[in-house]
Amino acid sequence: MATADYFIEIAHRNIQKAGQEVCGDVFLSRKLYDEGRTISVLSDGLGSGIKANILATLTASMALNFTVEHQPPERTSQAIRDALPIDQDRKISYATFSIVDIEYDNETSIVEYGNPPFIVFRGAAPYKGIIRKDFNADIKKCNFCAQREDRIVLFSDGVSQSGIGRIEMPFGWDSENIENYISGILEKNPGISAEELAQKIIGRAYMNDSMHAQDDISCIVIYFRKPRKLLICSGPPYKKEKDRLFADTIECFDGNKIICGGTTAQIIGRELGLEIETDLFSGDNQLPPVSYMKGIDLVTEGILTIGKVAECLESGEMLPEKNPAGKIIRYILANDHIRFLVGTKINEAHQDPNLPVELEIRRNVIKKIAQILKEKYLKEVEIQFI
Amino acid sequence: MSAEKKVVVKICTGTLCHVMGGSELPELAGHLPESIKPKVEIKGMTCGGFCKDGNRKPPFVTINDVLMEQASIEKIVSNLEKAISDDAE
Repeated sequence: MATADYFIEIAHRNIQKAGQEVCGDVFLSRKLYDEGRTISVLSDGLGSGIKANILATLTASMALNFTVEHQPPERTSQAIRDALPIDQDRKISYATFSIVDIEYDNETSIVEYGNPPFIVFRGAAPYKGIIRKDFNADIKKCNFCAQREDRIVLFSDGVSQSGIGRIEMPFGWDSENIENYISGILEKNPGISAEELAQKIIGRAYMNDSMHAQDDISCIVIYFRKPRKLLICSGPPYKKEKDRLFADTIECFDGNKIICGGTTAQIIGRELGLEIETDLFSGDNQLPPVSYMKGIDLVTEGILTIGKVAECLESGEMLPEKNPAGKIIRYILANDHIRFLVGTKINEAHQDPNLPVELEIRRNVIKKIAQILKEKYLKEVEIQFI
Repeated sequence: MSAEKKVVVKICTGTLCHVMGGSELPELAGHLPESIKPKVEIKGMTCGGFCKDGNRKPPFVTINDVLMEQASIEKIVSNLEKAISDDAE
């Protein structure tokens, strides 16, 4: 969730215990756009495999939904304990959970039950200002206000106990060594994405276990960072008088810029005095080629290309690197805030009923893309019609 | 036309031209006879807006800024051959 200047990037990576089909650690996350909250939950089910996965899924979904409803942690944990089935062999019911609830102003509260303690990094150094309060014997709660460039790292005991019993780490990978390892990465690579960092941490835990995971290994990284922004312009403004404003908006935008539409590109070229160069061999039989303009990252054809973008974002299909729609998707995925500036002028030539393909209305396709990006890709999306 | 000045073919890559058969036109270079190949320059352009006039039919190309409608590789090649041989005379 982003207030004006933040974006919260959340990534989760896991490796299941050797010999198991599924991971017994479960991660769930939800962005509540109306409230500006982001809630993430990690649960580690008792044991491993399917049984653990079911316990953890139940725990994580209850923890998530109770938190959405602002239920206090003791009530949440009681409800989970009441609901969990009792393990036939061990005669107990158990699954751990950690709940991270981030408010719109980055006020963060974290509830922990049974998982290894999370770590916060402010820049490259572990942040020591976290005060954990005991709720009851096992549940700990803490609050702090996250700042830009903070990272919250949570992991299951598969990480902290990795390598246990080896001569050099008899008690596993202890928290001091984990902190040093992560600090080392952050010093070398201060802008590392949440995803890459989570991958490195589980990779190291897996190595500690000599590539034979002793337990389910999971790691979550929550990274508060400067948002990366992308502007996608498509369609000529409804009124010609807006052309200048349209072009100025693009010129002044701080971030990646894409123009979808030949006529749109020409209007912007005309207003800003820029030449358009078409790379004739960059298209295929489905999509027309891309063009380039100074100061604009990419210029593509309009409706066919954005139609393909919508289709592939929805299905998850990967497109080759040189495909025009594939290029747009790569820009979208690399950015956090996607802003669409959509001209609503209808291209009358596209309304001819004799055309061999149906050309959709741009506005509708972009609304669909925006919806998919919000729900499936958790992007911040804004559409402005002009 | 002087020997160094080439005939410029611009292919419209707009939506309508593309769906109406223009998607094959970038392959023009491979269909040019060797005799005229060195004298032709092929470029792309974003939608030229020629389709806005309902009386003309896409796909469009321009040859030295002269518009050709319902362009095909065959039609472009024969037009180019004519233009270049006229020029030679």
